[in-house]
Amino acid sequence: MSVEKRPAFEPPAVLVRPAPVAPMLRRPVATTFGAVLVVLRVLAGVIWLVSLGLLWRKTLVEDLGVPLDSDVEADAGSNAVLAVVLGVGAVVLAVELVLALLIYRGSNWARITVMVFATLSITGSAFDYFGADAEITLRTTLVTLALDILVLLALSSRNARAYARRPRSAKRRPRG
Amino acid sequence: MGEVGAEASGGPIGGVPVGGAPIAVERPRRVSFNAVLDGFFFVYAGIAAVWLAWLVLTESFAFGWFGILFFLAFWVVLAYLVLPRLHRILTTIYVPDYFIGRARTSDGLLGDPVNLAFDGDEASVHAAMRTAGWTRADDVTGASSWRIIASTVTRRSYDEAPVSPLFLFGRQQDFAYQQEVEGNPARRHHVRFWRTPDGWLLPGGRRVDWLAAGTFDRAVGFSLFTLQITHKIDADIDIERDHIVDTVIAANPEARVDLLADFSTGYHSRNGGGDTITTDGDLPVVDVGAVPVVPEVAR
Repeated sequence: MSVEKRPAFEPPAVLVRPAPVAPMLRRPVATTFGAVLVVLRVLAGVIWLVSLGLLWRKTLVEDLGVPLDSDVEADAGSNAVLAVVLGVGAVVLAVELVLALLIYRGSNWARITVMVFATLSITGSAFDYFGADAEITLRTTLVTLALDILVLLALSSRNARAYARRPRSAKRRPRG
Repeated sequence: MGEVGAEASGGPIGGVPVGGAPIAVERPRRVSFNAVLDGFFFVYAGIAAVWLAWLVLTESFAFGWFGILFFLAFWVVLAYLVLPRLHRILTTIYVPDYFIGRARTSDGLLGDPVNLAFDGDEASVHAAMRTAGWTRADDVTGASSWRIIASTVTRRSYDEAPVSPLFLFGRQQDFAYQQEVEGNPARRHHVRFWRTPDGWLLPGGRRVDWLAAGTFDRAVGFSLFTLQITHKIDADIDIERDHIVDTVIAANPEARVDLLADFSTGYHSRNGGGDTITTDGDLPVVDVGAVPVVPEVAR
C-alpha cells in the first residue's frame, strides 16, 4: 500500500507546512470580495478626508480647542497642516488602492500587508473600546472597523490563501 | 515584515530556476513563516468577527424599528462569517482528518455520509448517470448561485442547480448529479462523486475508483450548526442510496452491483446541517466500467 496512515487530527506541524500545491487557478470569491472591501475602505478614507477638509476649522476650534480667532498667522499655519494631512492621506489611500489591485491579481505580499494593517487597526479600536471606553457606533467608527474585520476575514480564508499562494507559472514571476 | 515573509514563503517555487515543473524539484520546507502568519490571521479574524457581531447586535437596539435591519445584519454576520470561522478553527482540532465514511462541509463539519462507491473510469460514470436520467449539476459560480436563489424564491425549475461543496480526501467533489422533483428546486435527489486517491483502499481493503454521497433534499431550512439557509435532507438516506443504484442498474444493463454489507454501521447521526440521518450501513459498489461511452451530447 503506497498510502501512509494519517493521524486522527490535523496536527500543528501540518497546519504550518507550506500550502499544498493543489493549483487553484480560478479566482475565489473571497479574493474578489477582499479586494472590493479594500476599495470600499479607500472610499471611506476619501469621505473622511473630504469631511475633514470641509470641517477643518470647526474641528480645530471646537474639538481640539485651538484658538484661531482672526489670527492670520495661525490661520495660514493651520492651512499648511491641513494640506500636509490631506497629502499624506491621499498617498496612503493611493497605496491602498494599488494593494487592492494587487490582491485582486493574486499577490501574496499585498494580501499579507493589508492583513497586517487591518490587524493593527482592529487592535487599536479594541484598545479604545475596551480600555478607554470609546464608544463605537455607526456614527463614529463602526463602518471602518467593520470593513477592517471583513477584509481580514476574507483575505485570511483558506480559499484566498490558496489562491494567493498558488504555484506561479514562469510568465507570472518575472523576478525569478 | 509582510513582504519579507511573502518572499521567504515563495521559497519552494521561487528558489528554483523558472520553467519546467518546479514543484517536483524541491521539497517544501517543513515550517513556513507565512503559514504561521496565516494561521494567526485566521484565528484573529475569527475573534474579531465575534466582536463585530456583538457590536452590530448592540447597535440594533439603538435605532428603534430600524434596528430590525441591524438584527438581520447580525444574523448574516453570525451565520456566514462568525460561526463558519469558529467551526473551521474548532473542527481542525477535533474532527478526524482520515476517511470515516463521511464527507466534510467547507467549515470542516461532518457532512453527508459516503454511502455509494463506483468502479469505472470517469467517462463511464458520466455515461451511466446520464443514461439513468440524472442531470449533472453546474459548478458553483456567481451566476449559478444567483439563479438558484431566484428559482427558489419563484419556485421555478432549475434542474442543473449547483450543489454545495462537500470535501473528501481534502478535496471538493469532482462532480455531482441530481434529479429535481416536481420542478421544485427545494426538493431534489442528488449525489456527489469523489475520485479516490491512487492506491487508496476502503477500510477492509477493497479498492474502488469513486466514492459517492447521495441524499435527498426535502426542503429548505436553517442549518443547526451555522444558522445558514440550506437544504434539509431526508433522514432515511438508504432510500436515496437505493434509488440511485436502482436507476443506474435499470438503465444500464452492463452495470453490476456488489454490496459491502454493514460497511459503516453506527457512524451516522447528523449531517453538516444538523439533520438526523439513519442508515443500515451497507455500501453498494456499482461497477460501471462496462457501460459503453457515447459521445457526450451538448449539455
